[in-house]
Amino acid sequence: MNLHLVKLAIGSIRSRRTRSWLTVIGVLIGVTAVVSLLSIGTGVERAVLQQFKDIGYDIIVIAPSGMAAVLGEGGRAFMSGADPDSGPGRVQAMASSFAPTGGTFDPSQIGQPTGSSAAVASVQSGGVDTQKLVQAVPGVIEAGNLGTRVVSVDGPGASGFLRLTTPSQSFLQAFPSILGGFEIESGTAFTNAAMNEVVVGARSAASLGVGAGDTLTVDGERFTVVGILASSGAASEGTARSTPGAQGSADNAVAGALPGGGASFLTRGLTNTDDSLFVLQERANTLWSGQNTTTTTIVRMATGADVEGVLAGIATELTAQGVRGTPTSVQQIAASIQGALGMIATVLASIAAVALIVGGVGMMNTMYTSVLERTREIGVLKAIGARDGQVLALFLVDSGLMGLIGGVLGLVAGGILSLLGTRLLGPALGVGSFRPVFEASLILGVVAASFVIGALSGAWPAWRASRLNPVEALAAE
Amino acid sequence: MIAFHDVRKTYPMGETRVEALRGVSAEIPRERMTAVMGPSGSGKSTMLHLAGCLDTPTSGRVICDGQDLGSLSSRRRAEFRATTVGFVFQKFNLVPNLTALRNVELPLLLRGESATSSRKKALDALDVVELGDRRRHRPTKLSGGEQQRVAIARALVNAPKLVLADEPTGNLDTETGTRILRLLRGLVETGKTVVVVTHNPEIAHEADALIALRDGRVESLSAPRADGEQA
Ligand SMILES: Nc1ncnc2c1ncn2[C@@H]1O[C@H](COP(=O)(O)OP(=O)(O)OP(=O)(O)O)[C@@H](O)[C@H]1O
Ligand SMILES: [Mg+2]
Repeated sequence: MNLHLVKLAIGSIRSRRTRSWLTVIGVLIGVTAVVSLLSIGTGVERAVLQQFKDIGYDIIVIAPSGMAAVLGEGGRAFMSGADPDSGPGRVQAMASSFAPTGGTFDPSQIGQPTGSSAAVASVQSGGVDTQKLVQAVPGVIEAGNLGTRVVSVDGPGASGFLRLTTPSQSFLQAFPSILGGFEIESGTAFTNAAMNEVVVGARSAASLGVGAGDTLTVDGERFTVVGILASSGAASEGTARSTPGAQGSADNAVAGALPGGGASFLTRGLTNTDDSLFVLQERANTLWSGQNTTTTTIVRMATGADVEGVLAGIATELTAQGVRGTPTSVQQIAASIQGALGMIATVLASIAAVALIVGGVGMMNTMYTSVLERTREIGVLKAIGARDGQVLALFLVDSGLMGLIGGVLGLVAGGILSLLGTRLLGPALGVGSFRPVFEASLILGVVAASFVIGALSGAWPAWRASRLNPVEALAAE
Repeated sequence: MIAFHDVRKTYPMGETRVEALRGVSAEIPRERMTAVMGPSGSGKSTMLHLAGCLDTPTSGRVICDGQDLGSLSSRRRAEFRATTVGFVFQKFNLVPNLTALRNVELPLLLRGESATSSRKKALDALDVVELGDRRRHRPTKLSGGEQQRVAIARALVNAPKLVLADEPTGNLDTETGTRILRLLRGLVETGKTVVVVTHNPEIAHEADALIALRDGRVESLSAPRADGEQA
């Protein structure tokens, strides 16, 4: 019985082909909007959370003077050797990012041993004494320091400014994953903290023209290149260079919107090792003590440790050591980012829902006209014994089917759109490459919802149709 | 088979009311062909609609086999139309986007019969009206006479006891009309009660009984001829 109703309904959809398609397109647009926005939204969230997961939820980051300074600095490369024009501008950007520390940052002073160290006096060049920290704070199992600053580099192929990253030995031991595994492609890792050893990122090595065993001058000191890192494959800085404006604004947007906006710092600035040089912090401190290095301390909590308690303990210990810094747990950052992303997703989904409602109204219009047009047909159906409920069902199936077709097509269109969209959005949002996520619940929900919207939109016209007096319906022209 | 007892039907028409039937009492004999005649607007169609349970009387009673049709629920009325009555209209009233076969199947499908049995019965009914070879045609591809025969097949497919035809030949030429008439006439022999509304005196002559209406009242009644005798 119901199968026959479906067949009859399909017949009527077909016989009004143009209008049926226009109606279907109305639903399709709404569903496309919902599907693409939700799948991209989920994709972004997954990608961001995955990066936090890679770092580990048991990690606490102690940024030297609030996240903002680190955030602004994170991820920028200074390859004036390879790209001389962009050098000064980029350094300016960095100078402004240092503003929160209260100092001025003159790019011309880069490479001078003392310089503006007074400006960043609050951040001790050695950073936190991690050994003491581990001993003093229960729940902390390991900790390591990671400094970054800009240095002048002289290589055989080129010279210019580069980011120098100074991990402590304990950092390399405990958190290699934060530096993308610190995977050596040729040569060796650091062998001796008492020697001038430098490890060079893949892209830097290429532009400087150095290989393992070569010599580099870093801030006036001669270093031996002991190893070259494997390429991290991160393209974000390359993209940043080609579209600096977009990149900067995306960073600012994230920083402004998210209180724990360390995401880019954690996910992009450090894991991209390609554009950096690496010197052990112990060595760097000996050579350039008092230099304006931004030192971040990474701490790992014991499993099951109370986050709040550990954070409080760290804060106390920092005060005791006389180091200024703000401990933030990856959990906290992830939660606040997830919350913000969720809010954005809700807003987007509401906008999409409006599109879906507009599609539903279009459907209502179509079904209403259809009932008017088919009044006589309804009279005939009733005269040959159709019950009110059957007439109702006939129209509901009709509109429901159109909704369903719109839903399925919208699902496909939304899928394609979000696949294209993520290609463009990934770099723009600074989360690298990510894929839209099509959850089964989204797919089933959308298909079911479009059927229901179709049926609901058709409900009132269908109800009117079912209540028609057969004689009057037959008299209709 | 159907008895009208002082049946009135008024239609609201804006401020005023139109009295289509003003106290009609008549009997439609079982397994006979009854003709309903009268000038335009005299209430013929209204009477037929009441007999077929398409509408309810304003007052009075329409009794079919002892059952007061006016007192049935909407669902029972639909059931009555589905099982007991077959309608044939002046304007054929086929569903335009369904094939001839589909149109004939429709009453069965609405009753919930299986697809195979519906198809078989519909093909049989189309054979009765000699349109088996037109089963795949849509109504627009059929002549008026063919459309009306499809409509008759649709009216018969349920094996109804009562066939109600409202000016079935009104839109057809004389020759085709005669053919349709013969078809309806033949139904009486298969044990059906047939009511034909017509302006055509020839058709009326073929009928066993005649109800003549004027201004919503019965002008004259002629009882069926004696049992066994047929025109
Ligand atoms: N739905 C309606 N609303 C208002 N008035 C109606 C309605 N149906 C019929 N009438 C009126 O009732 C009267 C009888 O109508 P009916 O259709 O029964 O006449 P008829 O004898 O079949 O006429 P015809 O030979 O033209 O078909 C007419 O005056 C008509 O205008
Ligand atoms: Mg009439």
